[in-house]
Amino acid sequence: MKQLTELATPFASVADSLPLVGNEFPWLNALRQQATSQFNIDGLPAKKVEDWKYTSLWSLAQQSFTHDADKFSLDAQQCDQIALLVDAYRLVIVDGEFSQGLSSVDALPAGLSITSLSTSLTNVEHVLGKQVDLAKAGLTALNTMLMNEGVVVTVATDVHIEKPIELLVINSGNTEGLATHLRNVITLERNSKATIIEHYVGLSDDNYFTNVVTEVVLAEKAELNHYKLQQESKNAFHIATLAAKQAANSQWKTNNISLGAKLARNDVHSQLLGEQAHVVMDGLYLVNNDQHIDNHTRIDHGVPNTTSEELYKGVLEDNSHAVFNGKVIVHKDAQKTDANQQNHNLLLSRGCEIDSKPEMEIYADDVKCGHGSTVGQINENQLFFLRARGLDEVTARSLLTYAFAVDVLERIPYEDIRQALSVVIEQRLPRGGK
Amino acid sequence: MLEIKSLHASVGGKEILRGINLTVNAGEVHAIMGPNGSGKSTLSNVIAGRDGYEVTQGEVIYKGDNLLNMAIEERAQRGVFLAFQYPVEIPGVSNIYLLKAALNAVRKHQGLDDLDAIDFLTLVRSKLELVKMDEQFLHRGVNEGFSGGEKKRNEILQMALLEPSLAILDETDSGLDIDALKTVSDGINALRSPDRSIVMITHYQRLLDYVVPDFVHVLSKGRIVKSGDKELAKELEKTGYSWVNTETEGLPA
Ligand SMILES: Nc1ncnc2c1ncn2[C@@H]1O[C@H](COP(=O)(O)OP(=O)(O)O)[C@@H](O)[C@H]1O
Ligand SMILES: [Mg+2]
Repeated sequence: MKQLTELATPFASVADSLPLVGNEFPWLNALRQQATSQFNIDGLPAKKVEDWKYTSLWSLAQQSFTHDADKFSLDAQQCDQIALLVDAYRLVIVDGEFSQGLSSVDALPAGLSITSLSTSLTNVEHVLGKQVDLAKAGLTALNTMLMNEGVVVTVATDVHIEKPIELLVINSGNTEGLATHLRNVITLERNSKATIIEHYVGLSDDNYFTNVVTEVVLAEKAELNHYKLQQESKNAFHIATLAAKQAANSQWKTNNISLGAKLARNDVHSQLLGEQAHVVMDGLYLVNNDQHIDNHTRIDHGVPNTTSEELYKGVLEDNSHAVFNGKVIVHKDAQKTDANQQNHNLLLSRGCEIDSKPEMEIYADDVKCGHGSTVGQINENQLFFLRARGLDEVTARSLLTYAFAVDVLERIPYEDIRQALSVVIEQRLPRGGK
Repeated sequence: MLEIKSLHASVGGKEILRGINLTVNAGEVHAIMGPNGSGKSTLSNVIAGRDGYEVTQGEVIYKGDNLLNMAIEERAQRGVFLAFQYPVEIPGVSNIYLLKAALNAVRKHQGLDDLDAIDFLTLVRSKLELVKMDEQFLHRGVNEGFSGGEKKRNEILQMALLEPSLAILDETDSGLDIDALKTVSDGINALRSPDRSIVMITHYQRLLDYVVPDFVHVLSKGRIVKSGDKELAKELEKTGYSWVNTETEGLPA
């Protein structure tokens, strides 16, 4: 049997044959070189790597992927229907390519810039790659080798952007086995504020591969509401890294909702590097059939007086498998850290499986840290109560599942985003799993 | 309305109800009293259809149909209402959502359309007034963080809205202060009508001062050992339940 490292084959030679954007930039070429060497050593992470213990990329490695998308055109009306938000600045990427026509990023307020990566590489030299570690986070090296598009968002000092920004990434299903490697770079300068939604959608049941890395830089007092909605095709691979560096008094409020894909993996990482920095890491996964979802989160409390709150919830049905691994690291000098991490799971079928592992590594002594993890089923008393009020069993189960799940939206301050997400969750609810 | 004949039921192989006979006609209010553990909640759970109770003998006829064959929700849709001794909290489901879903389930069964939003709200407001509950309770999770008394009022609110044919109130009076007891009693009295029946399960005589029953039954060790009118409740108040246990020992099954 081949080693998984050798099974980098679907990607090994791609870099040579692809016309990659930005090969006129020496800094980028150097970074890609480094990534290629790293990937040649590591290959795809195998299950013996601790962070990949419960998630096998075997099936990914067995596939052949193409990096050449056939042309596909989507009309604006279809795009409106796919988007989560009506009233938002929108940048659209279809099958790995930025679509100028479908995007609405022309009339932006002063201090806000939203561009595609391919057109703004000159501006990201000092940011790109600085939030992630090529040797870690699994497929980051692969992403760095092959990244070809993405979004670059910059909010200038003291600018508060009220209207949300939706990054809409669509796979049309027009190219069988398409692999896309996207890199997003989000920078909020001092005391700026914005709301961004990364939204991944598959329009078919096709097998394809989305590999995305989003890097976030929050300067002092910056505040970013950062949501992600993953609705890939049920046969897709979705692998994402979301990494932020946070300066003093900054706030990064994330919510990570995973509904689609056959295999999905999220690595979410915050580094709290300035005092009073605060991170919210919330998330929800709803999986059924033989879906596999793996959320690995990590929060580094690097300095004194930083805070983190984390709540991930999962609803599992059929033979689905979910992995939650939440790491909170309180470094040696990070006194007065306040960290709370929770992972709660609702199992609706006998065949599903959850591996939940909250971890806290604490090297400081004056801290307030708590964590909890639960796995449960529909509460029979609640079910009886609802049925005794006339709700049929299927509706009652569905309602209780919804109530369990929708709780993770509570910390989203915008009514219309919360509303839009709750509708998506409701539509995705199991119809009375037993 | 309700006819219980020789009802035997067990939980986990242990027989709890040991031959209950009870007939409740339309318009009547019955009180069932009895010591802790005598089977009062078991009886109400069997009528509502809760899982885990095995009926080993006897029958329960509701409006001429076999109640025991119906799913839990069908009983409710047909007008059987159980006010829970321990109302359950459901965070994430708002009270108003529950009320609307419950009312529409009943209406659907009656062949009626859903009430529109304005009519529904008007109706709910009038019922809130009846049980002296503030409108903010509508938007909280069902019973979430409610005090004991608020939970009981909330049960009465649901009952008032659903207007059941047969209401079974399991210790709705327990743990209420005097004002709450009066409010809850008003709610029950408002429901009294010639085509409705009410069965009040209670431990104390107190409630019966406010909602005067037509009949009082004493339940002991899974059987009704004595029936009478409201005077029986007064007698129980004086003598306690100790006599009940001794008196039942010799009774035939
Ligand atoms: N789920 C159960 N499992 C085992 N025993 C039960 C269960 N429910 C009730 N019982 C027993 O049945 C008897 C009657 O209980 P219950 O009907 O709750 O009494 P009451 O409401 O009159 O206080 C008690 O002895 C109680 O312990
Ligand atoms: Mg009881």
